[in-house]
Amino acid sequence: MTALTVPARPEDARLRPVPWRRMAWVTWRQHRIALAGVAALLGALAVYLWVTGLHVHHAYAAVAACHPASSNTCATLTVNFNNANGSTAELIAALLQGAPALIGAFVGAPVLARELETGTFRYAWTQGFGRWRWTLAKLVPLAIAVAAAAGAFSLLLSWYYAPFFADGNQTPLASTVFDLRGVAFAAWTLAAFAIGALAGMLIRRVVPAIAATLAATAGLGLVTGLYLREHYVTALVTSNPNVPGSTMGSNVFVSDPAWILSEQWQTKAGRPVSESALGQVLPAQLGGKGGGIPQSFEVTDYLTRHGYTLWTTYQPASRFWPFQWIEGGWLLALSVLLIAATVWLVRRRAA
Amino acid sequence: MTALTMAAIPEEDVGPRRLPWRRMGWVTWRQHRTGLAGVAVFLGALAVCLWLAGLKLHHVFAAATAACSLAGSASAVCYDLSTSIIGTNGFLSNGFMLQAVPPLIGAFVGAPVLARELETGTFRYAWTQGFGRWRWALAKLAPLAIVLAAATGALTVLLSWYYQPYFATVNQNLGLSDATPFAPGLFDLRGITFAAWTLVAFAIGSLAGMLIRRVVPAIAAALAAYAGVAFAAGAFLREHYLAPLVTSNLNVPASAWIMSQWWTKGGRFAFAGFPPDSLLNRFCPAGPAGPVGPHGKPKAEAIAGCLTPHGYTQWTSYHPASQFWPFQWIEGGWLLALSALLIAATVWLVRRRAA
Repeated sequence: MTALTVPARPEDARLRPVPWRRMAWVTWRQHRIALAGVAALLGALAVYLWVTGLHVHHAYAAVAACHPASSNTCATLTVNFNNANGSTAELIAALLQGAPALIGAFVGAPVLARELETGTFRYAWTQGFGRWRWTLAKLVPLAIAVAAAAGAFSLLLSWYYAPFFADGNQTPLASTVFDLRGVAFAAWTLAAFAIGALAGMLIRRVVPAIAATLAATAGLGLVTGLYLREHYVTALVTSNPNVPGSTMGSNVFVSDPAWILSEQWQTKAGRPVSESALGQVLPAQLGGKGGGIPQSFEVTDYLTRHGYTLWTTYQPASRFWPFQWIEGGWLLALSVLLIAATVWLVRRRAA
Repeated sequence: MTALTMAAIPEEDVGPRRLPWRRMGWVTWRQHRTGLAGVAVFLGALAVCLWLAGLKLHHVFAAATAACSLAGSASAVCYDLSTSIIGTNGFLSNGFMLQAVPPLIGAFVGAPVLARELETGTFRYAWTQGFGRWRWALAKLAPLAIVLAAATGALTVLLSWYYQPYFATVNQNLGLSDATPFAPGLFDLRGITFAAWTLVAFAIGSLAGMLIRRVVPAIAAALAAYAGVAFAAGAFLREHYLAPLVTSNLNVPASAWIMSQWWTKGGRFAFAGFPPDSLLNRFCPAGPAGPVGPHGKPKAEAIAGCLTPHGYTQWTSYHPASQFWPFQWIEGGWLLALSALLIAATVWLVRRRAA
């Protein structure tokens, strides 16, 4: 043991460095089981999503074919479609939120933790290739592989959820589905992988590192979804009640409804007014007097004509891609930073 | 290696006096205290979060309940307070996130019990002790299973308290909540099933560890197998525990778990579920009366109002909320039996395997 704790040799410049591509074989041999596991998990989920997705799209075809779309019959069909398929879609979305964390933790955490736990790092890191190159040559291809697999899978998810955005059931910015589509799913997988790699280097034991990665990724995801995401771009504020998807306006059943953050009535003087006070203003035939106000275009129209203004704070659905790039961007930056920190720790650590 | 793969000595070695079981308690504790400490930290943190979130939720519900029962459910103050319930801890209200707790605990504690010894080779030392290998395995699996079930059972008390306002009769009657105790994310967070599912996850993990013999793949396999069992139980099995009730009453309580709805005319089956377009166009040309929100269900009464005068009757088959505890005992029972079976299979495999 003591013979091995001599100070590490400075990166030897005299020896010709082994080419990077030689490491690809080592990476593949050591991590093919984990990659096969990822492929099996995503493949099984893809088959299930494909089968249920065909069913959902078939059911939605009847809704989409209904004319005129504004008729009561079509509205009823839409509600019926959402009631029949919405809860399954919601359940699938909730379960898939865990997929990036699981993939990242199970692939990322063992990369270094396994070598450190079993002691094989003494062999691996003393090869001519150099220890930090060894680490980088394993982390980068694996990161690209899991991110690419997750990206391909999220294309299928986008297809599956398309009817629920098209019929106005859900805004594409909703926290339950936002990070399953676009670039976010791949970016979250990448971030979980990077967290896993760093946790493995710090904890040096596989199972605790996986557990820590799951906890850290879940915490980060929760904070992002609950507090961070709505602030990516300054929310729009409008006094126009017809925000797409708002139950207060006339655009209820429209494609790609907005993400409504808050709705607040104000008096002519600009003071906020509660819905119960508005209920006293509203005539009984519109549903007033008894409590609050029903959410309908007629009610909003009546109140607007009587001097009240509805201020809606919202993020329009057209911001889906800007939001995706922002979230993808900072997650990519975080991942690069974490992988760089891991490589730096490997380089610094006395073998 | 070859020296170690010779036929195992027969278990019932009558020579040395058998070691008492309680001696193994110390070994189990020493080898798994890190795992158990991890579980304690995880459950403790979760309990603190649930406690804080629950205080907020209970406060909101208590205010709404008091106002609505004093001023009536149609009053202004009741309306304002009831809308604030929806926005309180919305991400916890369907319970989906907490479904991850039993499999994570079970797999991370259960899978390493045998897989770690087999992966590192220490089983050669452990299983050749005087205590005997299958006793060794059982003396580790049984106490760990009991501890995990007890810990998650304790958390169930907190979970039941957290979700209690959603199911309270007074809140359901005031229209503040329409949650059914059979909701897919909520049924197994309360009663005895939360602990039972943790137990099953642990048992699956220990068997996967014995079969796969490597810790990380065993954890992954246990999570996958658990997900399959839980999905099958929730989607296909649970509704068949007891026969559903059938009624033609339109006012099925909101807490009931509705299985299916169909219509009859003149005692004969007419159609299932939602009325076909042709019928709606004939009898409800203006569409069913009453508001139809984007997330709201079409009022059963409104459609019935159109169709009942023409001789149609709506039938509903449902599980009433009063079947909650029978369902809990049935699910808890088969999960306990499955866990015992899986642990027995694990011990049998340990006994059978040539060291």
